[in-house]
Amino acid sequence: MADLRVNVCGVPFKNPVIAASGTFGFGKEFNEIYDISVLGGISTKGLTLEPRLGNPTPRIAEGYGVILNAVGLQNPGVEEFIRDDLPFLRGKDTVVIANVAGRTIDDYAGICARLDGLVDMIELNISCPNVKCGGMAFGIRPKSVKEVTRAAKGALKKTPLIVKLSPNVESIAANALAAQEGGADCLSLINTLTGMVVDIERRRPLIANNTGGVSGAGIRPIAVRMVWEVCRAVSVPVIGMGGITCAEDALEFIIAGASAVQVGTANFTDTLAMPRIIGGLNEWLDARGIKTLQELRGTLRLNN
Amino acid sequence: MKEVRVRILENMPIAAGINRLRFALPEKVEGLRCGRFVNLSVGDGAHLLRRPIAICEHTGDTVTVCYQIKGAGTRLLSARKAGEELTCVLPLGNGFVLKEDEHRVALVGGGVGVFPMISVLKEYAGTGRVFCSYMGFRTKAAVCCEDIFRDGSARAKLVTDDGSFGEKTNAVAAFFADLENAKPDVILSCGPLPMLRALKSGLAERGVKIPCYVSLEERMGCGVGACLVCVCDLENGARARVCKDGPVFAIGEVDL
Repeated sequence: MADLRVNVCGVPFKNPVIAASGTFGFGKEFNEIYDISVLGGISTKGLTLEPRLGNPTPRIAEGYGVILNAVGLQNPGVEEFIRDDLPFLRGKDTVVIANVAGRTIDDYAGICARLDGLVDMIELNISCPNVKCGGMAFGIRPKSVKEVTRAAKGALKKTPLIVKLSPNVESIAANALAAQEGGADCLSLINTLTGMVVDIERRRPLIANNTGGVSGAGIRPIAVRMVWEVCRAVSVPVIGMGGITCAEDALEFIIAGASAVQVGTANFTDTLAMPRIIGGLNEWLDARGIKTLQELRGTLRLNN
Repeated sequence: MKEVRVRILENMPIAAGINRLRFALPEKVEGLRCGRFVNLSVGDGAHLLRRPIAICEHTGDTVTVCYQIKGAGTRLLSARKAGEELTCVLPLGNGFVLKEDEHRVALVGGGVGVFPMISVLKEYAGTGRVFCSYMGFRTKAAVCCEDIFRDGSARAKLVTDDGSFGEKTNAVAAFFADLENAKPDVILSCGPLPMLRALKSGLAERGVKIPCYVSLEERMGCGVGACLVCVCDLENGARARVCKDGPVFAIGEVDL
């Protein structure tokens, strides 16, 4: 058995496989299918200070090898999360990452302060493409990325901060650097790409929100490229995601420089995707006599 | 609920654009019952979303579902042959439950909504209950399972929108026209949203206080309650997950 343990800015993970925010709720439902303690970590559904109802339905559509979603940050609010969902997650042997969003910089600072010390890591969602205020608005320009990161970091005394980056930007590396300068302990990428699917009979977008975030296997090459660009640009650890469906997919991100990975859409296609990826990583490393993931991380050799 | 690989036993057309898919379970699955659903892969890597389909019938080791061939995914599903395998998560959702004192049961189904109604007939066959079935189809070519409704119901009205089979009316109108004869203790329904709205407003207009439960359809993501994609509005202003809190709701509880 290979050693799959990884350490991401001081937080020990038993393996590098983390459930991506928005695809896994707060873990209770998937725990009916398998014990979620096998996972390296769980990034929660995006949380806001107040409860949110999210967007109208339909909230999902399909493209070739991809899906689009526009849930719009429906969540019960941070207080209900702390009361009803966090104790369950704390009872599981896995790293708990709270994904948080807000309308204003003060919202981000406020929710970070509220969750400081209660969870293992906080993931700042400044890249949700499906809400009108906040979300991606903060994630587009380096200046606002830095500003919101600094405010969040300033509100945190104990919990390390991950900043989740949007791919819908001019330069993701520039935004990564801005987040690092703002005090991010870690970066995660990529959030979804903005897209649209048209119902040609009705001549309307299929999703009620018109546009949605594109995710799934089809976006993986874009995500790998962006993770590679960001890993070259920054010194903080990077969590890679985008279209990971199997161990081999996860390894692309790790070789490109990611310390850990998140798995989202694959949970819809196969509820056992993440346990299978963990098993597959073990097999792949064992078959090649590789003892730890550190031996692989960032070992990408470019052509010429 | 479980993630399993199922083997297709039969996948054949039973009416225009409607296929019946029967599959074998690899192991015992607890909790299969009427009104719950399965989430089936369509069998290729391009379609990442599973298709949620209501259980129509089940035995200890097989499940039958009926689905409409509507888009690329269900077209692909319809090409799968007996002997092939699909992955499936089941059983999902809450389902229909009849109380002890709900003796006379009205079933109001429209389109593919007739199939969950079959699951109720099968589940409660032999319990001494009296079923009155009102099933609406688009046209004669879409009519199916007539024998199941006629054999399982004390009263069965199968109608079409265009009058090419049975009366030219819809399931809800047929039900209200026969309400005095049906005298149900409970009403169960599944069908397109406009049909469920007509049922809700029809009950309100007539001041009918009979308990009524409807099964909703919505585009789903995970199917297990985690992703909050398939929500519906509740009358109290909150939102509920169709896949986990439903798909069956008291008609007064949901804002249709």
